[in-house]
Amino acid sequence: MLLKGLALSLASSMAWCILFNVPVRTIFAGGVAGMVGFLVYSLLPLLNAEVLLSTFVSAAIVSLLSQVMSIYLRVPSTNFSVAGIIPLVPGSMAYKSMLAFVNDDYVAGITLATKTLMVAGAIASGLIFGISVVTIVKGARHAGKRAQRN
Amino acid sequence: MSSDLVMDTCLLAGAIILKNGGETYRTEETMARIAQAAGMDDVNSSATPTSIILSFRCKGLDHTRMVRTPVRTTNLNKITLVNDVSRRFVGGSITLEQAYRTLCEIDQKKPLYPKWMQHMAAAIASGSFSMLAGGTWYDLLPAALAGLTVTLSLEYLEQFVRMKFFTEFSAALLGGLFALLAVTVFPELHISIIIIGAMLPMFPGIAITNSLRDLMAGDLVAGVSRGVEAMLTAVSVAVATAIILWFTR
Repeated sequence: MLLKGLALSLASSMAWCILFNVPVRTIFAGGVAGMVGFLVYSLLPLLNAEVLLSTFVSAAIVSLLSQVMSIYLRVPSTNFSVAGIIPLVPGSMAYKSMLAFVNDDYVAGITLATKTLMVAGAIASGLIFGISVVTIVKGARHAGKRAQRN
Repeated sequence: MSSDLVMDTCLLAGAIILKNGGETYRTEETMARIAQAAGMDDVNSSATPTSIILSFRCKGLDHTRMVRTPVRTTNLNKITLVNDVSRRFVGGSITLEQAYRTLCEIDQKKPLYPKWMQHMAAAIASGSFSMLAGGTWYDLLPAALAGLTVTLSLEYLEQFVRMKFFTEFSAALLGGLFALLAVTVFPELHISIIIIGAMLPMFPGIAITNSLRDLMAGDLVAGVSRGVEAMLTAVSVAVATAIILWFTR
């Protein structure tokens, strides 16, 4: 079951890489970013993490991973992070909220829509977390070099 | 070094990055680095998702120019290539003329993957995402076909409908109609799974990611405008889905 999910998330992230015309040598890396994100996303609930926490952590890991890979492969990190967050997209939640609105169940609709927005926010803050960690590390290294020079 | 060539090179590099889905801060930084490496003083660059302004001082004369980039697509390969060129120019391994010529070539380049391959990729993405959302193996093929419908209609509607959001709305509607048709013919399929998969090619991933990175870099105007763009896309897809669901009621 998990293996099937891993293969599917790899396929879907790699397809997304092709959709965005990333260089050939980074397609597989983008797929791996998506697969790792999905792995973390599906393993965290076993440790009793709720959906928001697991989305946040996996988005942060995808973001960190794409920054690291961008340093190794010397390409902008957007190449990986865009494809990496695809398996985390709250598609079914958004659909269910739409369904509730259409069926005149406004309370359930607003509940689900809020939940969808929260998950989207968790993806966003996970991405931001990864970016800022790398920025802080870079800034610290620059500051260290400057201190050595003086 | 002539200031005209510096200006042309910087603006071309910036325009390629912005046109192909790069972040605003990357555009500004690339232009400023090239101009500084070419020996210009007082370099200032500013970019929003639709326009670029660059100004610098060369031998006591101020130069400022602005270009607009009305059409935006996504081609991350070109951004990688421009990044490479600017890094090599700043590192001093190519001259300004070489950099300008390479940038012209990059600008003329066709997308890395042919159209049919991109449509296939969209179909694969839709199919596998529908399975991730909890579908069975039988839902994979209809979802992939619905995703194909969505990308094909996105491409062909774009040519005569000039409005981006209306194009997205109609493409989502057509994909939803395909899902409806599939479920009518084969009642054992799950319409929800197929619709969830089919709408994936329209997910504004790059707009959201870039908007966040722009906000983090302090480009508030660019970040907010990209965020609103992503939200409008999401709303047009949601409305189209709601109309389809209203049919199934």
